[in-house]
Amino acid sequence: MGRLTLSNLIEAAIFFLIVGIFYAFSFEFNQPIEIYIFGATAWPRVVIFLLLLATLGNLWFHYRHGNATQATLGQTDDKADFSEAGTVRRMVAVLLTPFVFAYLLKPVGIYFSAPFFIAAIIWLFGERRWKAILIMTLFIYCVFIGLFLMILNAPLPQGNVSPFYDFSAWVLKLNAKLQGI
Amino acid sequence: MIENFLAGSAALFGDPFTIGIFVFGVVGGMLFGAIPGVSMLTLAAILLPFTAGLEPAQGVMLFAVIYCTGTYGGAITAILFNIPGSAENAPTAFDGYPMTQKGQSGKAVGAAVLCSAIGGIASALVMMAATEPLANWAIRNIGPPEIFALVFFGLVVASSVGARTIWKGWMSVLIGLLIATIGQDPVGGINRYNFGMTDLAAGIAFIPAILGFFAVSEIFVQAEKKASGKYQAPKVSMTFPSFIELWMHKIAVLRSILVGFFCGILPGIGATLAAFMSYGEAVRWSKNREEFGKGKLEGVISAETANNAATGAAMIPLLALGLPGGALTAMMVAVFQMHDLQPGPLVFMLSPDLIWIVFAAMFYANLSILIIGVLETKTILNLLKIPFQFLAPLILMLATTGAYIGRGLVLDVMVMFLAGIIGYLLRRSGFSIPAIVLGLILGKIGEQNFAQGMQMVHYDLGTYFSRPICAILIAAGVITLASNMYRAFTSTKTSA
Repeated sequence: MGRLTLSNLIEAAIFFLIVGIFYAFSFEFNQPIEIYIFGATAWPRVVIFLLLLATLGNLWFHYRHGNATQATLGQTDDKADFSEAGTVRRMVAVLLTPFVFAYLLKPVGIYFSAPFFIAAIIWLFGERRWKAILIMTLFIYCVFIGLFLMILNAPLPQGNVSPFYDFSAWVLKLNAKLQGI
Repeated sequence: MIENFLAGSAALFGDPFTIGIFVFGVVGGMLFGAIPGVSMLTLAAILLPFTAGLEPAQGVMLFAVIYCTGTYGGAITAILFNIPGSAENAPTAFDGYPMTQKGQSGKAVGAAVLCSAIGGIASALVMMAATEPLANWAIRNIGPPEIFALVFFGLVVASSVGARTIWKGWMSVLIGLLIATIGQDPVGGINRYNFGMTDLAAGIAFIPAILGFFAVSEIFVQAEKKASGKYQAPKVSMTFPSFIELWMHKIAVLRSILVGFFCGILPGIGATLAAFMSYGEAVRWSKNREEFGKGKLEGVISAETANNAATGAAMIPLLALGLPGGALTAMMVAVFQMHDLQPGPLVFMLSPDLIWIVFAAMFYANLSILIIGVLETKTILNLLKIPFQFLAPLILMLATTGAYIGRGLVLDVMVMFLAGIIGYLLRRSGFSIPAIVLGLILGKIGEQNFAQGMQMVHYDLGTYFSRPICAILIAAGVITLASNMYRAFTSTKTSA
């Protein structure tokens, strides 16, 4: 196994999987283009082949040198530290919260879900003083509403489920009233 | 030229409403460039419908000014938070953010202000003096093979930037190129990798992907540091670089202006590749290569001079040939069309006033970066004093909105957060996010120009590479690739 670690193997496996999936799906659009002899698959397949070579090279490098680094430009030295279970749990929560928020945008709308999302992120970043969470949530929500709704009139997701849709409609009506539209 | 410039200046400053639009463009571009999550493109997209009510010169001038100041504005967040305002500011973060961590944020932002202004002013002057001859030269000598060759060279340079190993640098570029293949192919319009989702037929939108890879992934990195107790608040410093420090980098500034101008003049290439190539050249010519990426002032100077130098150059193909070089210049074509005008050689004959108001406005906008930028910097540096737990949700909300309003699709918000998670995991595994983004941006341009080039030369590679500029760029790319390959097989820095 040389100096390969489990994380090196997982990384390589993920990239082999990506290469395999993209190669397999390339047959779906493997059709000739009259004006271009290489067709629609040539470019993606060259990229896939090169990615396969680079992944093999990367695996070879880890096999020979472990987790050594090379003198490239602009690289950062800090590395992830997941030695404690608490860190992992919190990171999983941080990574999942935006997805839940994005998933809820369609049914619930941004006007209703935003304050909960803002408060959750502040809490996940370690703030535990509830007054600070409340005040900052309100402040950020007001900045957001002020910039995108009142100044820019940007069309934002309003939700499609009652009573969330009704709440968004109320916010929009209030804005129209305030601006005299 | 001077008479025309004075006439343009008089027209610009002779009307209070035009002055108001100019000031709005300068401040708006800087602010939208500097606010993490939104960019100058967001502002331009919002303003586009309103330009119908303006005079043609006012509308085009507004977009030109936003282009100049927005390109600079993105440097501020790149330096202070490691979140580039847009892709062209990504190389600025390589050395700018380490400088902030070392308590030299004032120096880095000061250098960005000054060098953006110098790059932009130099570029505006060349643009005024030589738009027509340069456009004529470009139309005769630059075609799809040359653009493909430059994309190839740029990607090779980008692969050696920001990753923990050269192998991972190549993998990063290739991931970006692979993501760019999603959507319709640029030659035949055949759907590729849409996995049954109609929204993916248009491909992965740049703005959500860039926001995810840069802004969201940085939030996740900081969250991890907070969770593991490794977070250190950045140090605020108000010390600007001294004149002597900047004078020592005069060669880097000159080189960056040349690189930026050359990249900017090529349609579709623009400021992003200019900044990467200029950074790469700065390292190539430096005697202290190992200091780059650890907070070297020259890194910030090279990237910021080049990306602003590209702004003036990008106007040359737009105004003289009607070819937009990027998203913002494409919106400028729309402004022209709204007023029944078509950018191209005829504009110089039919609307010289418009051209010279735009040239003058770009010159003064770059000058404004110097004046307003210095004043603004001292205020903006105070952002570092805001605790990150309060800054993070604000950035995420702005990013969410920025991703959504482009196409009005929740899918784009999903793509942004997915790019954020992928970006976070790849960053922690030593991959280069800027290289991924450059691959993503240049992927379609590279494929399209390769295909067009091959069709042009009837698939004869000999003819393809016998074009001098193409051959030089391909040779430079191959030499860089060979040198990287040698290092990939031989060099190691530290062993774990």
